[in-house]
This record gives sequence, C-alpha cells and structure tokens, in this order.
Amino acid sequence: MEPIIEIKNITKEFKVLNRREGLKGSIRDLFSRDYKIVRAVDNISMSIEQGEIVGYLGPNGAGKSTTIKMMTGVLEPSSGEILVSGNVPYRNRTKNAQEIGVVFGQRTQLWWALPLIESFRILKDIYQIPDADYDEMLKLYQSLVDIEPLLHKPVRQMSLGQRTLSDILAAFLHNPKIVFLDEPTIGLDVSMKAKIRTLIHALNQQKHTTVILTTHDMGDVDALCQRIVIIDKGKMLYDNDISHLKQFFGSYRTLKVRIKGDLKQYADEITEKLPQCSVSADDEWISILVDESKTTVMQVLGELQHHYKIRDMQLEEISTEEVIKKIYEEGVK
Amino acid sequence: MKRKGLRFYLRIYLKILAQDIKSKMSYRADFIISTIGMICTNIAGFISFWILFSRFPSINGWGYYESLFLYGFSLVSLTPVQCLFDNNWNLRQNVYSGDFIKYCLRPINLFFYYQSEVFDIKGLGQFVFGLVTLIYAWVKLGLGFSVLMLLKMIVFLLTASLIMIALQNAAAATCFWIQNSFYVLDFVMKFKDYAKYPITIFSPVFRFLFTFIMPVAFIAYYPSLVILRPDAVPVLSWISPLIGIGFFWLSYKFWMHGALKYSGTGS
Repeated sequence: MEPIIEIKNITKEFKVLNRREGLKGSIRDLFSRDYKIVRAVDNISMSIEQGEIVGYLGPNGAGKSTTIKMMTGVLEPSSGEILVSGNVPYRNRTKNAQEIGVVFGQRTQLWWALPLIESFRILKDIYQIPDADYDEMLKLYQSLVDIEPLLHKPVRQMSLGQRTLSDILAAFLHNPKIVFLDEPTIGLDVSMKAKIRTLIHALNQQKHTTVILTTHDMGDVDALCQRIVIIDKGKMLYDNDISHLKQFFGSYRTLKVRIKGDLKQYADEITEKLPQCSVSADDEWISILVDESKTTVMQVLGELQHHYKIRDMQLEEISTEEVIKKIYEEGVK
Repeated sequence: MKRKGLRFYLRIYLKILAQDIKSKMSYRADFIISTIGMICTNIAGFISFWILFSRFPSINGWGYYESLFLYGFSLVSLTPVQCLFDNNWNLRQNVYSGDFIKYCLRPINLFFYYQSEVFDIKGLGQFVFGLVTLIYAWVKLGLGFSVLMLLKMIVFLLTASLIMIALQNAAAATCFWIQNSFYVLDFVMKFKDYAKYPITIFSPVFRFLFTFIMPVAFIAYYPSLVILRPDAVPVLSWISPLIGIGFFWLSYKFWMHGALKYSGTGS
C-alpha cells in the first residue's frame, strides 16, 4: 500500500539572532547583527500508512511542532521532501488543507462567539462536504459522545475540555485522511482525557483516519498509539512499535519495599549489598530497579528478607514514561 | 472538489456575517453602548467641522456646503474599511500570540478567511450619517441629478474605499516583519483625518505627500472633484479608479506575502 505520508530527509533551519545580554548588548544588536543557524529538524525520514495512529514524542523544543508545521504546509522545509496524500504541502497549501485536520491543544480554531453547530455549518461550506456525508458524520458523533449539550453552546462559554472535544470533532468533520493532534489532552482532567482518547480511537477505527499525535502524556500513548516516533534536538531517536520499545526495556522491574526504621540509611546499605541494582528511597518506600536479565526480583527479595524485616512490598512494571525518559537521557543503543 | 468561485466565497461570507450579527445582538448592553459611542463620535466630528466653518465661511475657495460634501463623502467611503476589514486591527495580536496559524490551515483564501471573521456593525451608523450629510450637501449645492452622476458617484466612492482599504492592509501587514506594528497602523490611519479637507488648503509639500506618498487625497478630494467641479477635473481624478484597484491589489499581495512566510510561535 502507498504510504499516506512520506518524508525523506527533511531538515529545517532557522536563522536566529545571537542576542547579547543586557541593555548594552541590545543596543549593540541593533547595529551589528550576528546570526547563527539553528537546525530545528535534522534529517528526518519516515513513512506513515493510512489508518495508523503515530505518537510523535520528544521533550519540549525537540522539533515536533516544526515537523507538524511542515506536514501541514505552514513551513517550507530547508531541504528534503514531504508528500502528504500525494501533495507537496507547502506548495499546495489549500489542497493539502482539504485533506487534513489539525487540532492545537490550547488554541481553538472554532469561531469564538458561535455555537458549535453553526461552526459546523460554516465548515461544511468551507470544505464543501456533501449533505449525506455531513449528516452521517453528525450521527456518528452522536453515537460516540454526548454532543447535544455542546451543539448550541457558544464556544467561548465552553470549558477547556468541551472546547477540545469540539475542536477534535470539527477537525474530523470533513473526513480528512490525516488528523494532526498537537497535545490534545493538555490541561484536562482524567475523565475528560479518557473521553477524548476513546473518541480519537473510535474515529480512527470507523473512518480509518491516520492520526499523528504529539503529547507529553504517556497515558495518551498507551491508550492510542501502536507506533511511536521519538525525536530530540531535531534528530530522530526511535521509530518503531511501542511493544518493541517495552520489550527493549522490559527486563527492568521496580521492587518497592517498606522496612521499619530510617529508610535512607537502609537504602545505602542495600546499595552496597546489591551493586547490580539502582536503589533509591523516599519517605515511604525503598525502590530497587532490578534488571531481570542479570538477577531476578525473587532473588533480590530473598536477599532482603534475609537481612531485614519487610513490612510491605510492591512490584511495578516499568512504564512507557520511564522508558522514554531513559531514551531522552541516554538514547537507544 | 468543486471550483471555488465568487459565489462560494459570498455564500460563506454571508453565513459567517449572519451568525456574527446574531451573536453580537445577544450582548445587548454592549451593542447599545457601542452604538451610542459611535453616534457621539460622529457628532463630535461634525461639531469640530462646524466650528471650523462657522469661523471661516470659505477655505481657499471651498464653501461650507462643498466642504460638507467632502466630509460626507469621506465618511461613506470609509465605511467598507471599517465594516469589512476591521480584523486588520487584531492582526498584530494574532501574529504575536501565534493564533494566526489557525487561519493558515483552511482550504480557502487566507486573506478572505481572516477578514471574514469580523464584521464591525458600528460602521453602518457612520454610513448612514455620511450618506445623510452627503445628500444634504448635494441638495444645498443644487448639483442636480442624473443617472450618470449617480453612477460616477458610486464608482468614485468605491475607488475611495479601495484606497483606504489598501492603506490599512499594507499598514497592518507590516506586523509580519516588525513587532510593534501598531504604531504603523495607527500612524497611517490617522492620516485619514486629512481626507476630509480639500487638498488645496495644504502646502505643496503636503499636497505632494497626500497625493503620491500617502494617497489620502484620493479618499475624498480627487474623486469628489468629478461631481463638484465637473468643468475642471484633473487627470488624477479620472485615473483614480485605476489607482484604487492597483493599490488594493498591491496591498493584498503584500499582506499575503507576509502571511505565507508566517511560521508561528513555538508551542
């Protein structure tokens, strides 16, 4: 099958002014301008199939937004090629816009003063959605979320959660091939996050829409993405199945124990006894990160019981968040 | 995908307009207060005009009613820029905050989409006020009436509007390059106050400035000469419709050039 998004070696460079410090520096900046080239995106390639949900992750300033902007046609790459649904986004911005939907977490694209249903009607005209498709989409929405209370409420009166939900519905309205979601769950409470994840998942399943999702919330990733792409400092660190990533770090488990007494002191003792594990302590628990390819949790537990009186224990699998944190810190190698 | 012609855009515009007016009406207090404010502004403007002319019955050969005609003409011709292109005033803020990116992601003309978002209904009051002034002056001057005159009037009013719109577009679009473009916009829009005076009252330097650099003389003076002094119409008056269209087109290109190179802020 033809990929829906094809990116080959794109790079985006920005010219930024080397600013000098202080007022004196600012004045000098006025006269001599000293530019440096910053590479926001550095030689990234990927290819995404129709219907995939891809988690696009990276720390702040990694180049995620820049890549999204290039895919939506707002920015032109400095070099490399992008094809989105057969279009070169930058050169064919309006045509590309017809094929995609975009949601920015905290920025609504709806008409501020209008009730949602009126925004939908205007979007129907802008995207030239046939009546039958429009009605079918509204029916689908009704079956997925409780849309009635939203429809007649002006956007400005909505809560952040309702607004995000509305923005997502609006982005899918013209049944685009690809939807870009830039931090859709930012600032939302747990139940709203769950609602939004269910909605995105359902729309992806029903309409076979490709979804590119950037987020810092690993809950989003766990709930939605089969594949993740991680970038940092503009470079691609990882592009593979999420299960592969977990497997990669899957041999790590965290054993937490509670022992009566000064936990910090015990932690130091345990570090000496178990040099192959990393040990830390907080007010309640001693956490021991065990690499099961070297030793087993049961062995560690046996060793601890031999020396101390354990009052309570917990075992945690390593979360995706920790895996990604490790990748940010060390890189995959 | 169907072709997106004039009808397509008109349909969308009317739909947004209808919704916008509906929602503005729902803020009743705001609506009433801004209507009163608008009436006061117009009355104050008229009073200062009247004081001037009660002292000097004629300025440089321009009588009271002729000047009143010019005044009414400028008010009417300023209506489109006020009603239809008011969102230019918010452009700087939108660009600065990064919200402008949302306009870049729709499959329709960016300039149209941006301007369609705001319709300033207050401009309509100015239109009525200007029109009444214009008709009153017209009758008092005994200019007579013919269909040809009416046609000329409409063409030249549109010309004046286009020039005003072009000035505002160009001034607003500077925000794509400079941070504090408010001053540019404010500065340019202040010049429109000079539009309501006959250009002959200014010194040659300003006459040149208002004709060729900051063409505010085309907002009322040159176009209304066609009606007021039909025996001695300068060439500049006749070509002003072309100048209007040319300026508008240039300002549109400039605006779009800035908008297309816009890259947003980080998020």
